[in-house]
Parts: sequence; structure tokens; C-alpha cells
Amino acid sequence: MSATSEFHYERETSWCPGCGDFQILKSVEQALVALGKKPGEVLVVSGIGQAAKLPHYLNANGFNGLHGRALPPAFGAKCANHELTVLVTTGDGDCYGEGGNHFIHAIRRNIDITVIVHNNQIYGLTKGQASPTSDIGFVTKTQPGGVVLTPFNPLAVAISLEAAFVARAFSKDTDHVASLIVEGVKTPGFALIDVLQPCVSFNKVNTYQWYQQRVYRLDEDGYDPADKLKAFEKALEWGERIPTGVLYKNPRAESYLDHFIKPGEKPLVKRERPRGEIEALVNEFYSEI
Amino acid sequence: MKATDFNIIIAGQAGQGLNTISGLLLKTLTKGGWHVYASQNYMSRVRGGHNFMNIRISQSPVFSTPAGANMLVALDQRSVDEHLRRLEDPAVVVYDMESVKPAQGANGTIWAGAPLLKLAKENGGVIYQNSVALGGIMALLGVGLTDLSGVFSKRFSKNRKVLEDNVRAAKAGFDYMTSINGHFNFMPTLPQREKRLLMNGAEAMGLGMIAGGLRFVAAYPMSPSTGVFTYIAEKAARVGIIAEQAEDEIAAINMAIGASAAGARSATMTSGGGLALMVEGVSLAGIMETPLVIADLQRPGPATGLPTRTGQEDLDFVLSLGHGEFPRFIFAPGTVEETFYTSAAAMNLADKYQVPVFILGDQLLVDSYSTLDKLDIPKIRNENYLISNEHLGKEPYLRYRFTETGVSPRAYFGQAGTHFISDCHVHEEDGHISEDAEISSKMAEKRFRKLIGMKNEPYGPKYYGPEKAQVALVCWGSTYGAVKETVDNFGQEGGGLGMVHFNRIWPFPGEDTLEILRGCKKIFVVENNIQGQFNRLLRRETGIRTEEPILRYDGRPFSVQFITQEILTRLA
Repeated sequence: MSATSEFHYERETSWCPGCGDFQILKSVEQALVALGKKPGEVLVVSGIGQAAKLPHYLNANGFNGLHGRALPPAFGAKCANHELTVLVTTGDGDCYGEGGNHFIHAIRRNIDITVIVHNNQIYGLTKGQASPTSDIGFVTKTQPGGVVLTPFNPLAVAISLEAAFVARAFSKDTDHVASLIVEGVKTPGFALIDVLQPCVSFNKVNTYQWYQQRVYRLDEDGYDPADKLKAFEKALEWGERIPTGVLYKNPRAESYLDHFIKPGEKPLVKRERPRGEIEALVNEFYSEI
Repeated sequence: MKATDFNIIIAGQAGQGLNTISGLLLKTLTKGGWHVYASQNYMSRVRGGHNFMNIRISQSPVFSTPAGANMLVALDQRSVDEHLRRLEDPAVVVYDMESVKPAQGANGTIWAGAPLLKLAKENGGVIYQNSVALGGIMALLGVGLTDLSGVFSKRFSKNRKVLEDNVRAAKAGFDYMTSINGHFNFMPTLPQREKRLLMNGAEAMGLGMIAGGLRFVAAYPMSPSTGVFTYIAEKAARVGIIAEQAEDEIAAINMAIGASAAGARSATMTSGGGLALMVEGVSLAGIMETPLVIADLQRPGPATGLPTRTGQEDLDFVLSLGHGEFPRFIFAPGTVEETFYTSAAAMNLADKYQVPVFILGDQLLVDSYSTLDKLDIPKIRNENYLISNEHLGKEPYLRYRFTETGVSPRAYFGQAGTHFISDCHVHEEDGHISEDAEISSKMAEKRFRKLIGMKNEPYGPKYYGPEKAQVALVCWGSTYGAVKETVDNFGQEGGGLGMVHFNRIWPFPGEDTLEILRGCKKIFVVENNIQGQFNRLLRRETGIRTEEPILRYDGRPFSVQFITQEILTRLA
């Protein structure tokens, strides 16, 4: 991919040099080009955090909302205009901490969006506190004795709720991340891509080297992502070896809007209300003499 | 209370079919050409307790519930004990003679007991007890069974057996009551039969939002706002609306903002506690300049407060909620009819100015039924405030372009191949983050320039009453009915009594208020809270001197009697 795709937006970022966010941005651009999309056809929704600034560095539609609240507006926007390809770029704090309740229910809704979580196991923008995915024992300024909370397992949660598409990748492998985004977009329903991404400023444990030594690709040994129990097993695997790739793909997943918008129907935003439709509602309140 | 009015209390436990009887009775009376007004009192429980509905019947439009009543339909003993003291002399009590015993009331109380349960068993089963009672009520009112049968026919059109059983049960009640008590003869004479609508405030609000172009709604159930959401959800598929029950109020408002940014007219509704969760979202809509209608159907607080009762305690909250500064509209319609038009206008004004628009209602407003002569649909003008595709192509599109009116041309995501960013930070004209000092102040000024146009929008204060009244009652929202009827019934004491009702509360219509209240010697604000929140706002915005406000904060609505007594005491 050339550096000047239609989606490329030359702008000074507020990311630290060497941050995994740059790699994810590259993968997003690469995926959108591969999907043959135009900038006007794509909406990238985010909350707050370093990951959530991504829409400002991409040439496409963007909605940069509140901390933890990326998923609800993404749902609303997709309902209003289902012709849009809706991506969410969010972080482990934004999506799994502040927005944890929305994460659960967005998966249950199974709206057709693709959620890319920049998971660096730490809070970056607030300068280095534990995140929901920080490992036990991880020492920070706010957890000086080390993290004692059980880490949140987003993939296991997503699989238990029968998300349409559940994947994990390592940010450095930009081609792999891009290919997962392409597959996630093409899959009807909720697609989760948890991207392991080093925080070069505050996470001195989960470094490039740390991930590089552990990650391996599931698709290289005939893994079947339709097998829910196997997917669970893989979602629980963490430590010496960390599986990446498509962990689970729900073969029965139906997108939320399939229940409310018929094939070929116009998006809500492009509809005119037929004359007489309101009068018919009013007439229901009349008493007949 | 006018001499031509007739007032019924239907009381019993939750789950006894109170709503069924009341609903059918209201429909029957509307069909008969009466004007009705009905308010509901219920507890926060599903079974048991004590609930009641007040139904007022008149030949002219009525807007409030009086303190007294002419008929009590007592579904249990507690209903007799609770309401006997409210009965006029004479009045009639309808009850099941096997389960309820008469008590010592006024001399003129007619104890019209009937074996309701027994008659129901003989005519199809226990479940028809309410229809037996309804038949009995028809006999006592002297209005025949034709209209009730008509209402049954519509309601049970799909099941002939159920329809026939109901009609037979009603006839049994009717015949019994006629043979024992004859006709009850102080009901006002039959009106001309006019075709009217019967609607509650929740339905009026939902219908108004739909008429105002609503396409997306997300909400979390909370009394007393649930009725608005339920009405829209029921009609959604028919009229191309997506109605989603969110996991919480935070999700609800953020969903609605997302849908709105993508171009769909959106709304959410809640009560005070839910609104507290939505606060950050309102602030987002403020800086993102995303149109949004938020209905706050108030109940008394703080916290869970009185979940099913009425109050006007959220005014200060709604005036200032949301961190940071941004313009907003606040409306507080006074009647069911005004609720319809205001809700439709709210959808349009949100789009026109790209601001959050609040509709402040309360339990009294949304749960009360009213008859309306008509709703004028062509009066609602849904303008398209989005930028046209033609204009979009002309120059680089800037979502937050600086303009004289403060309103930037608005596109939606995916429109005609353009793209832009909607943002929560201080941003440049193109929507990208900025920390520049000059941009910060220019953007704030741009947003607040909208107030120039907003101040000239309609729904300002309305005066009602005699010319040059010396005493004015000022009110807002649902207190309209009781205050209006206080004015109607008041004599010339103190130089006459007028009313000023505020629907648009913000931007505050200061100049109009000064004009209307010029020459008033005494001004009393009437409102359902302990601090006199509107009274303080009125003083702050106009410098007008007001008297000690007339307040009620027990979770119950004002009555004409309550307000009149307060006025007389203060004028004495």
C-alpha cells in the first residue's frame, strides 16, 4: 500500500514515537483500501484515550465521543444509515473498563460493526495506571503493590455471548491486523478484534519483545473457529503462549438490523414519511360516534 | 368545580383491573360526547396497595382534578375508607356488596351495592366482574349501554365469545342497578355528540415526536417516562423508526447522539435519576452540536424519591446540567394538546439549531388523559435543516463553519460522498482537535450566537384571564390546568386574577415576561417543589418582585381548591 491512500491524512499526532497505535492506523488504512471503500462510505467511531484519537488521523467520517461510550453511538449511527461501514477504534480502558456494560450489550445486539481494541494492558493517556487487562502483579503508581484484580478476558466474554467474529492480533503484524479487519467488516454482525499493542512509555513489562516471544498464529495449524468450546479454550490461553487470529466465528450470527430493515430498504436517514402516515396514527385516538 | 361537572373516583388494589374499568369508562364517555380529564394515582408496586383514578366529566373542556367527587367506585374496603371524606353530598358509592361494607358518610350518600362477583359468575365468569361494574355505572349515570357495547365491540373485535360475554355481564350489572337504584339524577345533561380524541400526555408526546420526524429512539424504562417510549416502540415498525431499549441511560443518550450525527432525528426519554446518568451525553451533544430531544418526565426526588408520583423538582437541574457551557432549549407544555405540538416543535428546533432540546413534563402530565377536539397535523412543519447535496459539492465541507447565526451547515455521515468528523473536544471548523486559544473562544462564541435566533422562537409566556388583573398566578408545565381553573372560578377579590403560563422556559423570554406582568400588583408563582425554583428564575431573569410562591411538594398535583385557599389566605 502506498503511504498516500485516499484514507491517509497527513497530520501531527499526539502519539509517542514507536507507539503501536501507528501500526494499527496503518492496518486500518490498508484494510479500507483492500475493501475498496471510499472515505465517505466509512465512519470511524471512538471514545477517549490515545487509541480513540485515531479518527482524527484518518481521512474518513469520524465520531469522537465520550470516554467509554464508543459503542452506543456506533450502534445509533449504523441504525440511522446502515449503508455506512462502521469501525470502532477504542482502548482497553475505554472499551473494557469505562464502557464494559456497553461492550456486553453491544455484543448481545450483534449490530454489524467492527470493533478494534488497542489493548496495551495499561492506561496511556492518564500516564500509566492499571487497565482491566493488566496482569496480576503488574506494578503501577496507583497499584504500587501490584494489580490484585483478575484480568478481564474480552475474548472469552465475547465468545460466551456468541459474537459474530472474535479475533486477536499483535499490532506489529500490520498485514495480519489488516486482514482481520477486512474479514471482520465482511462478517455480518459484531466483530471484535483485540489488538495487543505495546505502550512504549508506561508499560515496561508487555513490550514488543514480550509479545513477540509469545504470540503464535492459530490459522497455521488447521484451527476451526466455528467450534465454540475450542474457541473458549484458546481464549483462556495466556502467558507463555498467546494465540492470535480468528478465535471464533459464529456461523448462526444474525445482525441486529436484519430484524428491522428489509433487504433493499433505504437507510432511515434517507426516508421520507409518506403523507397520511401521521394522520393514521392520530385517527387511532378518535372515538367513533 | 363547575356545577355541570361530574367526578368519579375508581379505587382499588393494583392488579384488580382498575385500569381496565377506567380505560373502558373513559372511551365510553368520550364516545358519548363528553369532555373528560382523568388523572392517576398509583403506588410503586404491581399487586395490592391502594391505587385510584379520578375521572372528571364535563360538557366543556376540563384540565384538572377537583378535590371532591360525586361517585366512588370502590373495588375494596380500603377504597371506601380512603375516599368517603372526599364525596360531595349527595354522592353515590358503587361496590361489591359481598366484599365491601358501607360506612358512615354524609346523609345524601347513596350506597349502591351490587353482587358484582355473583353476577359475573352467573354471566361468564369471575373475570367479567369489571364489566358488571361498568354496566352498573352506566345505569347510575343514566347513559344507557349503547356506547359501552360499542367500545366492547372495538376492543374485543377478534373474539366473538369474549365480546358477547362482556356485553351480557354489563347488561346484568345495568339491569341490577336500574332495578335497585333507578337512575342517578344529578349527572349533567347529555352533551351534543362530537367526535373527539382521547389521549394521555405520554401518547401525545410520543405522537408529537413521531410527527416531528423522529427516526430513532433509545431509552431505559423508568417511571413515569416509560409510557412515551412504549407508545413509540409500539408504532416503530409501522412508521420506520428504530426504538431500542438500551442497557442503561448512558447508552441510551449516546445511541441517540450517534444516530443524530448520522442524520436521523433522535430522542430519548427518562426521569430525574436516568437524566443524572445522561448528563455527560447532554454535554457531548452540546459541543458536538448534534440535535437531540431529551424528555425529562419528573417525579419527586432526591434519588428514588416517590417513583410514581408527580413533582417539578428538576428545573434547576435541567437549566444547568452538563459540564461546560452550551445553549439549550427547555420546554414545559401545560396540557396534553400542547404536549403534542411542543414535542413536534422540539424535534424541529433541535435540528434547526443543532442543540439539545429538553421537554420537561411530569407524572401528572404523562399519565393524565384528556379529550381533544382535534390535532392539526398540517400545522406541523418539518423543515429539512440538513445541507443539500448541491451545496455540499461547492467548497470544502466544514462541519463547524463559523457563521453569523452560529449554526453551521450540517451534513450527515455518508451524505453524497463527503466526509467529516463530529468531535467532543474543542475543535477547528473541520472538526479536528484544537487547543488554540483563539479557536476556543471563537467556537464558544459561535455556539452562543445561536441564542439570538433561539430567543425569537415561539412558545413564549401566555396570559389568560381578565384584562388588567391585579394579581397574577405564574406557572409552568403541568400546573396549567389547576391554575387556569382557579382563575376561571375566582371572583373579583383583590382586583381580579390572571394567569401567566410558561412553556418555553429557556432561553428565558425575559422581555415578553416583563411586558405581560407590567401593572400586576401581586405575583404568585405556583409550582410543585419546595424551593420555588421557577420563582427564583423569574426574579433572576427579570428583576421582578414576586410574593412568596405557592408550593406543593408532597408528590401530589395542585387542585383548584388548594390554590384558591392559598390565594385567599395571602390576600386577606
